[in-house]
Amino acid sequence: MGEDKMSKIERHVLANRRTVIKGLGAGALALAAPAILRSAHAQSKEVVYATWGGSWEDAIRKVWFEPFTQQTGIRVKTIQGPDYGKIRAMVRAGKTEWDVVEVNPDFQWTGPREGLLEKLDYSIIDTTELAKEEDFKTEYSVAEGLWSRVICYNTKKFPTGSHPKNFVDFWDLKKFPGKRVMYTKANGGILEAALLADGVHRDKLYPLDVDRALKSQDKIKEHVLWYDTNAQAVQYMQDEQGVMGLMADGRVQFIKDKGAPVEIEFQDSQLTWTSFVVPKSPPNKENAMRLINHMISVESQRLIGLEFTYGLVTPKAYDLLPPGRADKLTNGPAQKGKAIVMNEKWWGENQPAVQDKLNAWRIL
Amino acid sequence: MTTTVQAVPKWTPTALDRLWGRDPDLRPALRRGLLGTPGLLFILVFFLYPLFLLVELSFQAKAGGWSSEHYLRIFNTTVYAQIIWKTAWISATVTLLNFLVAYPFAVALARSKGWVRIVLLISILMPFWTNLLVRAYGWIVVLHPRGLINTMLGGLGLIGEPVAIVHNTTGVLIGMTQIMLPYMVLPIAAQIEKMDGRLLQAARSLGASPLRTFAHVFFPLTLPGVFAGALMVFVLSLGFFVIPALLGGRRDILIAQLIHFNLTKVLNWELAAALSTILLVITLGIFLAAQRWFRLNSLWSEVK
Repeated sequence: MGEDKMSKIERHVLANRRTVIKGLGAGALALAAPAILRSAHAQSKEVVYATWGGSWEDAIRKVWFEPFTQQTGIRVKTIQGPDYGKIRAMVRAGKTEWDVVEVNPDFQWTGPREGLLEKLDYSIIDTTELAKEEDFKTEYSVAEGLWSRVICYNTKKFPTGSHPKNFVDFWDLKKFPGKRVMYTKANGGILEAALLADGVHRDKLYPLDVDRALKSQDKIKEHVLWYDTNAQAVQYMQDEQGVMGLMADGRVQFIKDKGAPVEIEFQDSQLTWTSFVVPKSPPNKENAMRLINHMISVESQRLIGLEFTYGLVTPKAYDLLPPGRADKLTNGPAQKGKAIVMNEKWWGENQPAVQDKLNAWRIL
Repeated sequence: MTTTVQAVPKWTPTALDRLWGRDPDLRPALRRGLLGTPGLLFILVFFLYPLFLLVELSFQAKAGGWSSEHYLRIFNTTVYAQIIWKTAWISATVTLLNFLVAYPFAVALARSKGWVRIVLLISILMPFWTNLLVRAYGWIVVLHPRGLINTMLGGLGLIGEPVAIVHNTTGVLIGMTQIMLPYMVLPIAAQIEKMDGRLLQAARSLGASPLRTFAHVFFPLTLPGVFAGALMVFVLSLGFFVIPALLGGRRDILIAQLIHFNLTKVLNWELAAALSTILLVITLGIFLAAQRWFRLNSLWSEVK
């Protein structure tokens, strides 16, 4: 499938590579045959992991990679910035350099559609403890961690108790005057929120009625501070320009810990996740599968639950955390039943068209 | 030029002579050509060829084979035309604002001497050397409802409520104008510097008022610089991405943001290539028009 879609240029580059490799190969093969035979037996001792970096990278290095290297002798090399465009460029040029990449769930469908992903080897990756959520496991991906977009509010304006408790309140400009902080991205939860505010039942959100959602958005759009990046959202809440917002739980927690007067309402939080994928023809395929298997184990999930507040993909791991800790995590026991799972599959298939519609709505 | 000396026996250059540039008819052209070869090759390999690939990509169907589906989608979905129009409108406004700010500055710069000149030059170039993101966030600090400007205006009692000058189109215009300033100031200042001062003296001595001298002599002589600067600012603005994203609001979507979205989020490189090609065609059109009507060449040639 990837081959048909490959552009002429890419084929050209590939063909040249092949010729060169063949030419070199013929000579080298005779000399190096014994070495090649040996290396086929001895596994490579490395695996390349593309991460978002920052303090997240420090944490996974400590609780996931170091134990993995101790157990297997395989070193984990990290690259920062798991850019989709880079994956496409690498794979189409036949020069994949990454083995495992952490991505947003839309890539579970965008990736295979573009022929960029390797099927995961479930004879190595054990998913018996994985949460049984439908799209946490696909042929090409497996869930890494959970996070959600939540309603947050300024506690000086609205003391807890008389705060906005759901999206109907979020849309109520009379009872809760002030600016709302929302994402400009189509799949940033704004359409789901608009439909809930308009009275759509939480189980009947998908397929989204985009026109109805935008009509509902019209009611508050002049009272919204729109953000393009999470950093902007954080700033709006921190400097109290926004009185409430719909934003990533980790970001709210971060400014709350720093003393900003904000609190989270978990009702109708929009649960989503991040995933592990393997780009096509990775340099160390087997190691990639082994590393993924290691990272979704109950023990690895328990350990990351002590470091970060992302939710765990193996429900059992919540029970192994010290008392109180589990409630701090996304989808922890205290949030049970409140979250709505984002239909990322629907988004993976409809994002381009919906974004066009949203842009048309924005610009008017 | 024709030679008048006919007595010299006619010398016909051999092929080898030609190669070495010894043919008198070919010499200047060839020598110029040879000197330009490395540059030309560089442009060919690293610029024109990738550009060709970009256009080629824009005509590839998602399902394989050739197609104009991406162009059809762009032309059949109103929002693309609206965004292209918005991009052109913002770029034109930025160009105009830039001219208004840059012209007096360029005059001051060209006329200044010594340390004043250094200060003026640094004040225009320092921001130019500063990271774009830093400048964008700098502007947020200044334009914020509780930022420098609003605090000052509020303190003076001029405004009751903070004015909204960021996270909307105003913010985009302010940020882009400042960032594009050097592209307008420098060509205009260069034009003023190579101006023959005697022309101004002549106008004055013939009885023209200072205003008239400016309108009929000074200003027309700076026009090539103005056009060059305007063209540069306009064309660069068309491709702007960071500033609209950070300083803009709900309505501020420019074409570069669409290209970025298709390139990195939904991986529709073919559509991104088609959008880029359209942007390229618009830019080339503007450049050719400017070349034809505003004699852009004169900026690089000697003033007579």
